[in-house]
Amino acid sequence: MFNVLGSSSKSIFLPFIFSLFIFTIHHSLFTIHLLFAEEYKFEASEFEKKPYRIGGYIEFYPVLFGLDKNSSLYKLNFYNRSEGSTTEQYNANLQLEGSLEKGILRAYVKTFTNYTNSYQTETTKITVFEGKISIKPTDSFIAEAGKKTLNWGKGYAWNPVAFLDRTKDPNDPELSREGFIVGSLDFTKSLSGPLKTFSFTPVLIPVYSGVNDDFGELDHLNFASKFYFLLYDTDIDLMFLTGGSKTTRYGMDFSRNLASNLEIHGEFSWINDFKKTITDSSGNTSQDRYNAINYLIGLRYLTEKDTTFILEYYHNGTGYNHKEMSDFFTFIDRAYEMYTSEGNRTMLNKAINLASNAYGRINPAKNYLYLRISQKDPFDILYWTPAVTLITNIDDKSFSLMPEISYTGITNFEFRLRGGPIVGTRSSEYGEKQNDYRIDFRMRYYF
Amino acid sequence: MKRMVIFLLALFIAIPVFAIDGTQLLKEIDRNLNPESYELYRKLINIEPDGRKKEYVLFTAKKGKDKVAALFLSPASDKGRSTLRLGDNMWLYIPNVGKPVRITSLQSVVGGIFNNADIMQLDYSDEYTVEKIEDLKNQYLLHLKAKTKTVAYDRLKFWADKKTKTPVKIECRTEADMLIKTLYFKEIKDFGGGIIRPSIIETDSPLYKGYKSIIIIAGIKKREFKDEVFTLTFMPKMESLR
Repeated sequence: MFNVLGSSSKSIFLPFIFSLFIFTIHHSLFTIHLLFAEEYKFEASEFEKKPYRIGGYIEFYPVLFGLDKNSSLYKLNFYNRSEGSTTEQYNANLQLEGSLEKGILRAYVKTFTNYTNSYQTETTKITVFEGKISIKPTDSFIAEAGKKTLNWGKGYAWNPVAFLDRTKDPNDPELSREGFIVGSLDFTKSLSGPLKTFSFTPVLIPVYSGVNDDFGELDHLNFASKFYFLLYDTDIDLMFLTGGSKTTRYGMDFSRNLASNLEIHGEFSWINDFKKTITDSSGNTSQDRYNAINYLIGLRYLTEKDTTFILEYYHNGTGYNHKEMSDFFTFIDRAYEMYTSEGNRTMLNKAINLASNAYGRINPAKNYLYLRISQKDPFDILYWTPAVTLITNIDDKSFSLMPEISYTGITNFEFRLRGGPIVGTRSSEYGEKQNDYRIDFRMRYYF
Repeated sequence: MKRMVIFLLALFIAIPVFAIDGTQLLKEIDRNLNPESYELYRKLINIEPDGRKKEYVLFTAKKGKDKVAALFLSPASDKGRSTLRLGDNMWLYIPNVGKPVRITSLQSVVGGIFNNADIMQLDYSDEYTVEKIEDLKNQYLLHLKAKTKTVAYDRLKFWADKKTKTPVKIECRTEADMLIKTLYFKEIKDFGGGIIRPSIIETDSPLYKGYKSIIIIAGIKKREFKDEVFTLTFMPKMESLR
């Protein structure tokens, strides 16, 4: 709960980023002379296979937040401290991957080390994202055991059928995520005719103290399966999860090219006996039990000028409607008032507890729209990609708008600068977030 | 009499052109470029107007008429990415994303002048019909038309060497005959196993003035694969084919 860099660091934030760009340009100009001197060559050593592999990336990722001091979530997170109009977070991440292959056996591990320095804390955390052993006796049969991600679903921003994965962040959907410890098989058969491929993936997920204990209720061995069909040039998956740690759920997804530049995809899931904790505006909680239906429908469209549109609509049947969200924010405001007027933290603690569970999910509401427009190589300048991402809560019309620019022109480097407003009226989801805007910069080096 | 002589002369000159079976010639060119099923190692180089360049090394597996998969071996930022094509269906697998995503033939996986269809190319004779052949001095000029709308370039002007029956130059054009890019095939090399073909393909494009792309082929050989190699499940495991 301290800020090592102090308030003076705010003034160096953007100049620091600028310096990085200057360094990059300088570095790249310096290398031009070296590159001109080279001949085009392709040696066998460049593709010689080794039994082991080590790689990954290291990144620097500072974030500047513009605070909204009137918002409910600001009051909840900053109730006992005074901040200026902005606050920063400095992140440094190291993702390491290693693999070893011997005959039909393969071992693989991926770790993620995160250093964060923010107004709240300074932490370093090492997480094993994946660590598994694979056996591949034939090209159509693979058995795996260990920690892994399944990544079910066809959606870009959300995946309502990802029963065995941690929730994706639609602000950065391509980030690696931590897996769960599972045992799985993959059986695949290629066929001729309208059904070109069939795959069957059964998965066992043990949930016990110390093993996947954040997946759901403890002391259950859960079972899930996915059936994949490439039928009439359409990807179709059917899946289910049962076993006790979570209520039984069923899902399906599909993806298909409607034209050479247009793809459509969708997901549907049905969750049996879902339990939802709801609070009223006074903090009285109740539990609602129902069969929840979630679905997503999306498009990916590429224009002749290389502009890509990704559009998705997501209905989150497990989420809260506008009134339920509004009641939660009103409760926070009342709890904050009680704390400031009487010094009583009881209600505030209850609000914090609710915010750290279902209300605090990345997307806790019912209906969302996602739109991302990106332009590859604008004005025929290679490796620059400007983009803009809009995430809207349809019910309360609040949104986050994030323009960005990324550059990948230097081998193994990736730069991304983005920033934008978080907009909404009082009692709306984005209007009550603790920030009015955010700006972040990511410099990543792959090795 | 004079007219008859001119007619016979014209007929004599024209006969070799009409005698060429365009489809058969294109199939011969395909087979000279690569076996129907093969493995291939190649390097793609994008060169910017200021001389800076970016290189990619790929391993490719192809089977039959409509199955091709490619795996990026370098640079580190792209290592482990794989692409799969089953007929008109294409997918991209990015290790960080962790699942294959459907893509279109027109999208670019690597940036630069290359698009997905260049990286996962099928035989020319499977994607194009020969509309016309011109008999030039040392070359044939084939006018090709895409069989379906899903093919990346609607029209090709295809110059082939008469002696080696391999491509010399290909112009990729739109339906409206706008030039998208030109491929130049260079340095014929014996890769063994009866494969003698150009080892370097240079590309330029009026859409990317000053930019150039080069493909260098280091190894190509005939190889049979199981059909299951060309499936979504196998995409993360492609390295095991090498």
